[in-house]
Amino acid sequence: MQASAETLAFLHDVRVFEAFADPDLVALAERLRERELRRRQILFREGDRGDEMFIVRRGTILISKAVTGKVEQVLVRVEPFDFFGEMSLFDGSPRSATAQAETDVELLVLGRDSLQAMTETAPRAAAAFFYAMVQVFMERLRRSTQQVAEATRWGLEATGLDVEAR
Amino acid sequence: MQRPAPAKFELLVRRDDTEDFELRQVASVIGYLNSRPRRVDQESYEISELRSRLAAAPGFILKNKTTDRFLLLSAQERFLWDQMDGATALQAIATAYVLKYGEFDFEIIPSLLRKLQRAQLLTFEPTSRLRAALARNRGRVIVKAIELVLTGLERIRISSHNVQSFFQALYRYGGFLLFTPIAAIACAVLAVLGAAAAFVLFHDVHDMLEGFGGHALRGILTVKLLFFASVALHQFVHGLACIHYRRRVREFGFTFLHGFVPTFYIDVTDIFMASRRARVITAVTGALVHLALGAVAFVVAAQAPTGSFTQAFAAASGIIQWQALVIALYPFCFIEMDGYHVLVDVLGVPTLKPDAMTYMKGLLTGAGRMRQGREELLWIGYVALSALSVAAFIAFNVWIIVSATH
Repeated sequence: MQASAETLAFLHDVRVFEAFADPDLVALAERLRERELRRRQILFREGDRGDEMFIVRRGTILISKAVTGKVEQVLVRVEPFDFFGEMSLFDGSPRSATAQAETDVELLVLGRDSLQAMTETAPRAAAAFFYAMVQVFMERLRRSTQQVAEATRWGLEATGLDVEAR
Repeated sequence: MQRPAPAKFELLVRRDDTEDFELRQVASVIGYLNSRPRRVDQESYEISELRSRLAAAPGFILKNKTTDRFLLLSAQERFLWDQMDGATALQAIATAYVLKYGEFDFEIIPSLLRKLQRAQLLTFEPTSRLRAALARNRGRVIVKAIELVLTGLERIRISSHNVQSFFQALYRYGGFLLFTPIAAIACAVLAVLGAAAAFVLFHDVHDMLEGFGGHALRGILTVKLLFFASVALHQFVHGLACIHYRRRVREFGFTFLHGFVPTFYIDVTDIFMASRRARVITAVTGALVHLALGAVAFVVAAQAPTGSFTQAFAAASGIIQWQALVIALYPFCFIEMDGYHVLVDVLGVPTLKPDAMTYMKGLLTGAGRMRQGREELLWIGYVALSALSVAAFIAFNVWIIVSATH
């Protein structure tokens, strides 16, 4: 992909690329692919194979996990400058949730090959990328813990369980 | 602290074979209204009607046959219980309740659900309020210490669940005699003799307790310890009464009530499935142990030489036994003893004390307002009589100790 000034400015504001030097950012931009989704289009389903992560440039992506039958729980809405799908990028595991466009969406796609190339040609940028990624993982882990507590509260409130009194 | 907003989930519901979907926010309150409470299997519970000549509507006793826990239900609660079939949503149950009773007091529903969960009739294992309060304040050293002591004491529990055959044998080999007219007459005679002896003795309490040789307080405490043995006898008679009415004695043992009150206890809750007469007799006969022992003690004291140790010891024992009789049978003392259970059974108002306390608390804090109904009069009467009685009880004991030590 030809790196436009607009794309470079956008990437500079994406958290995992914030610490990149300009030449590294240009090299990265050239390895990214663009992809567009129409509203309601499914990008991938839970259980699909995958080895790419996605950065939202425009629009909103819904990440949801199957609960029962046709019902899924919305885990998160991914907004512009945020990214998703990184778990499969690292370990190639099946997708743990479904990603679907809530609106018309523009994405930038980073494949495993591109990441591998970046690690070899720009190790300083790769280190900054991984460091930022660990921080994001920790934040998401905290959010998951909070979601578990919230789910427990929902259950207690919804069932009227009185766990304090005898 | 501000109460947090109800928790909510966002759900994505797919349409048939398309990418189309609908997003729905589901707050916990919606989940609650749509929940379908299910009572335990029919084989796991037993329900019995409790009729009263005074109460307008009948009450019901609900027993969890698995855990042997009992609940007293009003007619409205019984109606709600019948709706909890696992298929009817709480919202539909509330609608049915309004149509049936024309009342919008929906607090009855969560309140009943909590009661049922506690009794494991909808399942759940609760914790003690005292322990929960202590746990909340665990940061304070004193609270932590109290919690540790209570935990230690609560672990002291000696009990047996296999006592039915023992009590059956005890009943067969003589216990049945307690439930004959002769025993009732003997008890009445003893009461008259004891009262006469006490009347004579109480002309001079000081002379009577002089036999403790200037250590009246220590003597009375010794008598109190010996009295503890009669509490076990009291529980035994409850058990025999339960057998007399062909119900089951579930457990007998010793424990620290609330973690600090040492006591013997017996589980005769199965008697709730018998008639009211059976329940009243089971409650009263246990307390009559104190009437009989106290009467004998007073008679012995009256016959003993004035100022002797025997007289002092017997008289003190008599006082304590009859105090125990009053505490056990007198319903107006804020304690839910035998007499209280008889009273609420006869009145048909199983929640007399908690209702009365809530009502009075509301009046005193300004949160509630005065109403003139039968129930309100009952609540005010209960609290007023109980407060007066407790004050009189304390005054009487202070008088006894002061008389004995001066």
